[in-house]
Amino acid sequence: MGYGELWDATHVELLAAALATLQMAIGALVIGLIVGLVLALARRSSSAPLRRAASIYIEVFRGTPALVQLFIIYFSLTAVGIEFSSFVAAIIGLGLNAAAYLAEIYRAGLEAVPKGQMEAAKAIGMPRVQVMRWVVLPQAIRIVLAPIGNVAISLLKDTSVASLIAAPDLMLRAQDLSAVYFMPLETYILVGAMYFALCFPLSLGVRLLERKGKR
Amino acid sequence: MVDSSAFGKALEMLPYFLNVLGVGALTTVGLTLAAFVVAAVLGFCLALMRLSRHRTLGFLASCYLEIFRNIPILTQLFILYFGLTYIGITLPAVGAAIIGFGLNGAAILSEVFRSSIKTIDKGQAEAAYSIGMTRSMAMRIIVLPQAFKISIPGMANFAIGLLKDTSLASAAAVPEMTFKAKMLVSETYQTNLIYFLLAIIYLALSLFIAYWASRTERRLKVVKEN
Repeated sequence: MGYGELWDATHVELLAAALATLQMAIGALVIGLIVGLVLALARRSSSAPLRRAASIYIEVFRGTPALVQLFIIYFSLTAVGIEFSSFVAAIIGLGLNAAAYLAEIYRAGLEAVPKGQMEAAKAIGMPRVQVMRWVVLPQAIRIVLAPIGNVAISLLKDTSVASLIAAPDLMLRAQDLSAVYFMPLETYILVGAMYFALCFPLSLGVRLLERKGKR
Repeated sequence: MVDSSAFGKALEMLPYFLNVLGVGALTTVGLTLAAFVVAAVLGFCLALMRLSRHRTLGFLASCYLEIFRNIPILTQLFILYFGLTYIGITLPAVGAAIIGFGLNGAAILSEVFRSSIKTIDKGQAEAAYSIGMTRSMAMRIIVLPQAFKISIPGMANFAIGLLKDTSLASAAAVPEMTFKAKMLVSETYQTNLIYFLLAIIYLALSLFIAYWASRTERRLKVVKEN
């Protein structure tokens, strides 16, 4: 049995699993973007406890493996009576993890806009919200777009970790199928190629954005 | 909810947990160090290939980078683990993990090295040529020592990422910290306590790497000012 036959036999299941992987990554990205924004704003707030809480969140989530975070969210919360499906647990866990990285990206984006511009906008009588809307955000968004793209690529790859809490993604399906057809090497190479097909276009897009940003 | 006698029982087992996790932590640190060395050597070669004047070398290095950066490390580990067995090489799981994390890390570190080398002003290399140094001498004596300092934060970030990624080796039955934690959980069912301890040890190790890197960076800067 070669790659062609293996693909013929498994592609329906593999493509469905790839879709689940995509859904997981998109769900986690949405959670990450929202929680990350809250964290970034908390780090800029005037309340010291709020700032410290956000910093601790970021340190903890960046200092521990995503796998351990998923274990805690999935198994520990189940042990105290809160139950998720492994799919939902993976989306929440990966999302909360990505939020820590996205918060830093937002912060860098906001800080990259010179303070003088905000002061100038205020000096001509713009209210705070309008300064954000018309002066700071349009520039900040351009700066953060490429790094957010990188987080999206990492997320897409990290969804494979969710297979270790038995979330039904591409990697879990690969493990099932390699047990069915006894072709683990070929199956994992096939699945590796599928991940590549998902991630590589994104990588090219990010590189394009980076080059644009430099000009 | 949580009844207090169960909690007391869990606390009694704490020394045992810490003992087992400690042994696992040693494997985790060893695996991280070994993979870092492989990644640094190979990553340095890849960075030089990408900076070289030979187009083919640069292209080969780019292909390597794209492949390793766009496929999950877990998939790479499994391909390597099963692939090596397939071609008749039966490595212990630890060996496969060192090679897997090393090959993957090389792609990341080569970018750290390349961008550090590129930030060194071209004028320095040109000045070195003008006093008669060869290309390799200028690289070795002028550019690399400075680039090394610049690459420290990048290397530290990579090392922290690597430390965390080694937890994935538990899926290939490498007896590192996460694997030990899973064994403890199935042995004692103290899920909460064990996984929180596990997280705390990882956090402590990550913070230690970050601290050590910033200290090394500061020290090297003092030398430079003298």
